[in-house]
This record gives sequence, C-alpha cells and structure tokens, in this order.
Amino acid sequence: MCAQAEFDKIDAGLEITGRPFTVSRETIADFALGSLDFNPLHFDDNYMDESFGKTQFKGVIMHGMQNFAVITRTLTDWLLPRGGYHRRLETRWLTPVYLGDTITVAATVQRKLETDGSRWVVFDIDVTNQDGVSVARGEAMAEFADVFPGAAH
Amino acid sequence: MAELKLEEYENDFWKDVDNRKTWDQIIPGELRDTKPVTITTDVIAQFARLIGDDNPLYHDEAFAKKTPYGGIIAPPSLHIVLMFACTDINDWMRSPGTINCGQSWYYNIPARPGDTITMRGTALDKFIKKERLFAVHENAFTNQLGQVICTGRGWTIRPV
Repeated sequence: MCAQAEFDKIDAGLEITGRPFTVSRETIADFALGSLDFNPLHFDDNYMDESFGKTQFKGVIMHGMQNFAVITRTLTDWLLPRGGYHRRLETRWLTPVYLGDTITVAATVQRKLETDGSRWVVFDIDVTNQDGVSVARGEAMAEFADVFPGAAH
Repeated sequence: MAELKLEEYENDFWKDVDNRKTWDQIIPGELRDTKPVTITTDVIAQFARLIGDDNPLYHDEAFAKKTPYGGIIAPPSLHIVLMFACTDINDWMRSPGTINCGQSWYYNIPARPGDTITMRGTALDKFIKKERLFAVHENAFTNQLGQVICTGRGWTIRPV
C-alpha cells in the first residue's frame, strides 16, 4: 500500500459515519470491567438522585470514555484498510448519555497537511444521540506514513 | 511483572474511600503511586470486546499478521484501562462522583501482547470554575523498552 496514493484519495469534507452504539446496563457493566472504572455514576440509581454540587443528572450515565472507545473504533476501522494510523484524539463531553440512548460518531476530514516527514489528516469529531444532540465533540489526527510507527519488537 | 487480570481488581469504589486524596489534598506535580502491568493476548481481546471494539486486529492473529502491524496489537484506547490497572484502590481517580469532562491523547506506538507497561501520572493543575472543583491530570505510558506508548491529559470535576 502506498501511503502517498492513499493520502491523495482523501478530500477535505469527507465524512465517515460509525456504527451506532446503544447504551444498556449490560454495555455499562461490560465497559466497567473492561476499563476497571466502577464509579457509582454508572450503576447506582439512588446515588444519582443526589446533587453533585452544580451538576444534576437524571439517572445513571454512560462512561465518558465509552465515547472515546466508539470514536476510536470508527477511526481505526476506516484507517486500517487504507494504511492510515490513528495518532490523536481529543474530546470534550457536552451532555451525559443515558440508558437507552443511541450514539453515532461522525468524523469529517477538516484538513490535510504534509510535514517534513509525513502526511496528516485532521478530523472534526461529532458524537450525536438519537435526537441529533451532540454529546461529545473533538478532533482526531491520523497519519499516512511511509514507515510504520512502532514495528514489532 | 504482574499480568493484568481484570477480575482481580476491587469493583467497589466506596471501599477505602477515606484514604483517597480530596481536591484540597491533590498537589499538582506530585507523582501518583503506580505499578507496572504486563498485558497478554487474552486481556487485549477481553478489553476490546468489553469496550465494544470488534476489530479482528485485537483478537485474530492470522488477520493481524497481514496488516502493517504484523501481529495482534492492543487498541489505542487501552489507556482507558491502564490508568486504573496501574493504580491501586487508594488512587484519587477512583473517588465516587468523579466526573470526566474531556480528554486528549497522543498515540505513539501500539502496545503488544507481552508488553510490560509503566504509568507516570500527575495532576498538572487544579482550579475552581463556576463553583466546581477541577483537576487536570497528565499520564504517560511506556513499555519495557522505555518507548512511549501514549500520553494524555484529562479534565475531571472532583467530588465535594
């Protein structure tokens, strides 16, 4: 695979849509074990009735980092067959994701840039719920390198 | 080095809650106590499945061999579990009510089965905004060769 050729095929504005992800108590329990994050925010209905200073919730919430995992899956699934490498992800959580919500990732190519040593694609990331409300936004960066970063050791 | 086994970790974050540093006690720049963990093919596959990432790159050696990676790697998002895996029950990131506001991560090289991963973690800053107590934290993960796997920064609201 020629990194330059694959890089040249990508145009600014191109949008990649990830597979939807629906949150349930099962996905939360799985993510908790996978991440070792057993914060009661994700399990305890009574705890969530309490006040968190200025923050108030209406039930248990999905782990914020589940967004990260779904965004990463979307990027890697698209990049791997094209010889691109997922290099950076930055997100802010905008609104909590609750049980029964379905989130979908959109990654839109914001710009491409060639540097001294490589080729980079910057994506705008927008994760929306079933009502079209953004739950997380951010940026990602992929590299189309001639030499694979991190050969097997 | 200890192999990472997810089932061996305490899943009650209320346990030893009083041993954890509060926002007042967190000192920016001070290193958090960490321990290295060794990741296996099994735990990589288990992690990927549990977080909902079904790419065969993380569990199918025959598939992974044909990719530029040349074998199974861990998902870049492995840092999600490494932060808890490399810290113990007293670490302040386990305080119930910790609210994650956002994170940014740079991925240098992939983690691979057999890697022993070390965490260096600090709070970089703490501040008050809109009556909320924030901490900024920075973590870096390296492998047994001293190579950087990934580095990241996070913003959390600390429980009062």
